[in-house]
Amino acid sequence: MSTTVKRVYGYLAEFESASKLYKAAEKVRDAGFEKWDCHSSYPIHGLDAAMGIKRSILPYFVFFGGLTGFLTALTLAYVTQVEIYPTVVQGKPANFFTVPAFFPIMFELTVLFSGFTTLFGLLGLMQLPRLNHPLFASKQFARVTDDGFFISIEARDPKFSAEGTKSLLAEIGGANIELVEDEN
Amino acid sequence: MGHRVTSADIPVNGEQLPKSKVQIVMFFTGAIALLGLITSAIFLWGNPEKASELKGNYSFSWLFAVFYFFTIALGGCFWTLLHNVSNSGWGTSIRRLMENVGFVFPFIFVFAIPLLFPSVQAYLFEWMTEHRDAISEASDKSAPIKDILNERGHQHDGLLANKAWYMNLEFWHGRFLVFFLGLSFVIWKLRKLSVDQDTCTSPGTTRLFKARAMSSWGIAVFAVTLTFIAVDWVMGLDYTWFSTMWGVYVFAGSALNSMAVIVIVSILLRKAGYLKKVVGPEHDHLMGKLMFAFTIFWAYISFSQFFLYWYANVTEETRYFILRNTENWNILSYVLVFGHFGAPFLLLLRSDVKKKNIFMLIMAVYLLGMHFLDVYHMIIPERGPSVGNIVNHDPKLWMPGAWIGDIIAFIIVGCGFVFFLLRNLTSVSLYPHRDPRILESANVHN
Repeated sequence: MSTTVKRVYGYLAEFESASKLYKAAEKVRDAGFEKWDCHSSYPIHGLDAAMGIKRSILPYFVFFGGLTGFLTALTLAYVTQVEIYPTVVQGKPANFFTVPAFFPIMFELTVLFSGFTTLFGLLGLMQLPRLNHPLFASKQFARVTDDGFFISIEARDPKFSAEGTKSLLAEIGGANIELVEDEN
Repeated sequence: MGHRVTSADIPVNGEQLPKSKVQIVMFFTGAIALLGLITSAIFLWGNPEKASELKGNYSFSWLFAVFYFFTIALGGCFWTLLHNVSNSGWGTSIRRLMENVGFVFPFIFVFAIPLLFPSVQAYLFEWMTEHRDAISEASDKSAPIKDILNERGHQHDGLLANKAWYMNLEFWHGRFLVFFLGLSFVIWKLRKLSVDQDTCTSPGTTRLFKARAMSSWGIAVFAVTLTFIAVDWVMGLDYTWFSTMWGVYVFAGSALNSMAVIVIVSILLRKAGYLKKVVGPEHDHLMGKLMFAFTIFWAYISFSQFFLYWYANVTEETRYFILRNTENWNILSYVLVFGHFGAPFLLLLRSDVKKKNIFMLIMAVYLLGMHFLDVYHMIIPERGPSVGNIVNHDPKLWMPGAWIGDIIAFIIVGCGFVFFLLRNLTSVSLYPHRDPRILESANVHN
C-alpha cells in the first residue's frame, strides 16, 4: 500500500448543457475565482465574457514581432545593398532612396516575424506543448471531447477551500463533483 | 442597445429621418449646387475657339470635383452590391445607408454634363483636339479615323491611330452614356427592391434572392463602369500614358472613402437619435475593420503601380510619376505615402479604437481629406502642361491661383452630393425594418 500523499489539483464539476455552463461560469466569475477554467467540446460564443477573461496581451507581442521583422529587413537590405556592395542598375540610386526595392523584403519579413510571434507567443502563453494534464486523472473528464461540459477550479486559487468550493459548485448546478488529485 | 434586440424593438413602420430636420441644410446645399452648376456650365460652355487660361484651369477643377464625388457614390454602389452578392447578414441594418450613398450616382450625371462640352474637352483631353483637327482637315471626312490619323502623320499621330479603336469621339461619348445608364439602373433597381420590402405586408426572402441574383451581374457592371470611366476621364488626360492598375487604384480609394462616408452618416444619425436600435459598437467595429482593410489595400495597389514603373522604366509609364515627383508635386506624393497610408494604418490598427465614435468620426473625415489630396494628385498635375501649352505654348508645372477654382468646384459638387444624399436618406426608412435578417444584423457579434 502506497503511503505517498497525493497533491490535490482541484474540483471538477459537470454541467448539463452549454447554457448551464455559461450561467455557472458567470457565478464562478462573480465569486472572484481566478485559477479556474471551463471545458467544452466546442467553442461557446461569449463564454470569455462570462468567465471574465481579460484581453490577451498577444497582439502587443505580434506588433513588436512585426516591427522587428520590418527593421531586420530594412537593415539587411540597406547594409548589403548600400553599404557593403552598392549595385547600380538602370541608373537607380545606390543610396537610401533605392528603398522601393526593399519594400517586398520588408513586407515579407514583417509578415513572417508576425506569424512566428503569433504562433510561438500563443504556445508560450498557453504553456503548450505539454505531455499530460492533471485533469486527465478523472475518468468522467474523458467525455469533454464528446458531450461533457465541465468547470474545474484549481486548489492553488487563493479563494479555494475544500468545503466552500464544493458547496459553491453544487449550488450553481454542478453534478458529479469530484476532487481531482495528481496521479503521482 | 445593451440587450438582445427582438422584433418587439423594431418599429412596424420603420424609422424615418423627417425632412423638416434637415430642411435648412438641404435648402442651402441645394441652392449652392444649383446656382454653382448653372454658373459653371455657362462659364465653361463659352467660345471654344478662344483659348482662355481661366477656363482651362476651371475645366480641370471641375473634373477634379466631379471625379472625387463620383468615386464616393460609386463606392456606395460597390458596398451595396458586395453586401447582396456575398449574402451578408451583418450589415443589413446599415445596408440602406450603402444604398443611399450609392443612389447618389445617377445624380452625379448632372454634374458630369460639362465634361461633354467640346470647349471643356479641348483643355482636358488633347487627343480629342487631335481627332477633331484631323477630321476637319481631312479630305475624305467619312474615312475611318485610324486612316485619317495615319495619313496626317503629325507627331504622336501613329500612337493615336493605334489607339483609335478605343479612343475615338463616338465610342467615348457612347461609353459615357452607357456606363451612367447601366449602373444607374442597377443601383436604382436594388434600392427599389429593398425599399419595397418596407411596405410589404408579407415580407419574405424573395426580394433578397432577387437582389442577390441581380448583384451577381451588377457587380460586373460596376467593375467595368469604374475601371473605364477612370480610364476615360483621368488616364485620358495624357493619351501617351497607360497603366493596367489604374482601375484598381481608383477602386481602392473609392471603396475606402465611401465606407468613410457611411461611417460618418451612421455616427451622425445616431447622435441625432436615429438608428440606435439596430446599429451599435459591433457595427462600428466591422465598418472600422473595412476602413482599415481598404487603407492597406490602397497602399498595396498604389505602391505596386509605382514599384512596377520604377523597376521596368518604360517611357510610356514612368511619365506619370516623373511629373508627380517634380519639384513641389513631390511633397504631395510624400504626404500621400505617410498621410494616406502610414498614419491611418497605425491609428486604426488597435481594435478598441474602432468602437469609439468620436475617434472614428475624426478618422473618416481625415481619410476623406486624404482622398481629396489623392484625387488632386491624380488630376491636377496634368493641368499646368496642358493649359499652359494650349493658351500660350508655355507648359508650366503649376498654374498660379488656379487652386481657388478647385476649391469652388469642390464646394459646388460637394453641396450637390450632400443634397442628394440627404434627399435619399429622408425619402425612405433609415434601415430595412422588414428584412428577414434585420434581427441577425442588430445582434451581430464579432
